Amino acid sequence: MDKKTPLTIAVPKGRLQKPVMELLERAGVDCGELRNPSRKLIIPVPGTGWRFLLAKPADVPTYVEYGAADLGVVGKDVLLESRKDVAELLDLGFGSCRLIVAVLKSSGIRDIQDLDFNSRVATKFPRITTEFFSRQGIQAEVVHLNGSVELGPIVGLADAIVDITETGTTLVENGLVPIADIARVTSRLIANRVSCKVKYHTIEGLVRRLREVLAESVG
Amino acid sequence: MAYTMMQTPRGTKDFLPRDAERKRWIEETLRSLFWRWGYREIITPTMEFYDAVSAGDAAGLAGNLYRFFEREGDILALRPDMTTPIARVVATRLQGAAKPLRLCYHANVFRYADPQAGRRREFYQSGVELVGSSSHLADAEVIALAVESLKAVGLKNFRVDIGHVDYYEGILQNSGLSQDKRRSLRMALLKKDYVALEELTGDFSLSQEDRELLLRLPHLRGGREILVEAVERAANPTSQRAISNLTAIYDALEAYQLTDWIQVDLGMIKDIEYYTGMVLEAYTADMGFTIGTGGRYDHLIHQFGYGCPATGFALGIERIMLALSRQDGWTSMPNFRVLCLGLAEGPKLAWQTAEKLRAKGFPVELAVDSFAEDEILEYAVAQGFRWVIQPLTPERIRVWTEADGWREQELGEFAAALGGGVPNG
Repeated sequence: MDKKTPLTIAVPKGRLQKPVMELLERAGVDCGELRNPSRKLIIPVPGTGWRFLLAKPADVPTYVEYGAADLGVVGKDVLLESRKDVAELLDLGFGSCRLIVAVLKSSGIRDIQDLDFNSRVATKFPRITTEFFSRQGIQAEVVHLNGSVELGPIVGLADAIVDITETGTTLVENGLVPIADIARVTSRLIANRVSCKVKYHTIEGLVRRLREVLAESVG
Repeated sequence: MAYTMMQTPRGTKDFLPRDAERKRWIEETLRSLFWRWGYREIITPTMEFYDAVSAGDAAGLAGNLYRFFEREGDILALRPDMTTPIARVVATRLQGAAKPLRLCYHANVFRYADPQAGRRREFYQSGVELVGSSSHLADAEVIALAVESLKAVGLKNFRVDIGHVDYYEGILQNSGLSQDKRRSLRMALLKKDYVALEELTGDFSLSQEDRELLLRLPHLRGGREILVEAVERAANPTSQRAISNLTAIYDALEAYQLTDWIQVDLGMIKDIEYYTGMVLEAYTADMGFTIGTGGRYDHLIHQFGYGCPATGFALGIERIMLALSRQDGWTSMPNFRVLCLGLAEGPKLAWQTAEKLRAKGFPVELAVDSFAEDEILEYAVAQGFRWVIQPLTPERIRVWTEADGWREQELGEFAAALGGGVPNG
């Protein structure tokens, strides 16, 4: 791998950070500095021209679209919602979950078409939600929340939610039941469109190495 | 006061004098270059009938057009590019003109897009159209001119990628897939969504060769070797023709000694539907988005009822400006601004000195207020004057620069510093 060409990789803070680091290390990228808990947001990869940039997951596509980072790792849910113009190079497989529509189990609704015509849907993903519901021909009112979306139906703010779920435990705990699947979500390696051209060989080298590592873990 | 009174609409921008001068300098540099290559300027209305500007789907999406009603009830739109209005002019008023025609423009265009990542709703383009020739030499000429344009404005680290829409169209047509499936493959390639590309090629029933080729498309970029590989891989006649066309173009560019700035990229898919042949995209390593785009559009003019091949490109002026700022590239833009003192002390001498320099092409401002010298010099630095002058006699002046301070000089000798003259003079 060419590690001399300067390369900036945006790594999402939070639940994806650990699996990203593990994958990169298996691909031969030294993440030692990244593991060090510190307040630093820009972390050089020792002995290379590479560096990591620690960002909030929702900001990763933005850094990459503007070219402030050449590469980034982000969940497909965040990527879909951001509608950023970036290249999507690789499905990294981890962080797997589903983007679903859920309602209170007690509502008795089991099909999305049974939602009332003036239903409200609470979500962190207003764009995906609006698009999905209009494709289904349902004119739902989308309520944008920044977290704890499960609260919506419980307190009467919304009739349904659109959220990601890994195991469904949080849904069950809050008396919710999924009624429709929107997408299967995994984390993706994304790239700036111009970086893809200018740093083609560097990026392609890393992608090839990551593919090998991913294939090993499957096999 | 109301926000709407003090601000400009989203995605629009004021150009204050420094930026306005830079913008004009780029346009002027390009105008002069295009002129030397025989491209003559064309000016069309900012607003057109909606039917005219939507003909080629220039904005990618009809929803990106600024539309409004005229009092007579017609739907008008602000032009989203200049290629479509030029196609209209060629098919109507220039239908009888001898071809080929070389046309150029410097104009503002409008797209109703989210203002982000270098996208604005009103932005400026300079570009050329070579109309009436289907020769590969016409394509080579516009690619060469795109390279020369970016060189002329002093941009470094730039490349122009060239591809061909018929290469992947040939593969898709030959695949036996339905329109819908071809569209989703094209969309995955356009968005550079290679995860979707892998999923789709896995799901669709494709021959092993086609599947491998589609997955290989994003990697078909480089020099001449890519053209060789591309021909070997795609057996269908459409793709073969595309590569022989692109090879002829590449041969010409090699003869013009421009291939250092050229990359073949067969995975380049355009979001504008009117392209029919060679396509190009210019970019620099210092910026995350492209600075120019173009290609051949042999059917667009036909939309206006007159079949005529054409090829061209457009450069984004604000993007060039941004790239130059990133590269500290404004050093090649000349600054000849002179501040002339002494108007209050000797109006005739100062006035005549200023007039002499203006006649030579210098932009000269006369200091109308009497300030102390240190205040004047501070003002001169803040305003970006290159020289402050104090006339001593009709032939002799004192000259101040920030680097060298004051010295005495003959006026004639000073004026000679201008050399070839001011481009905007």
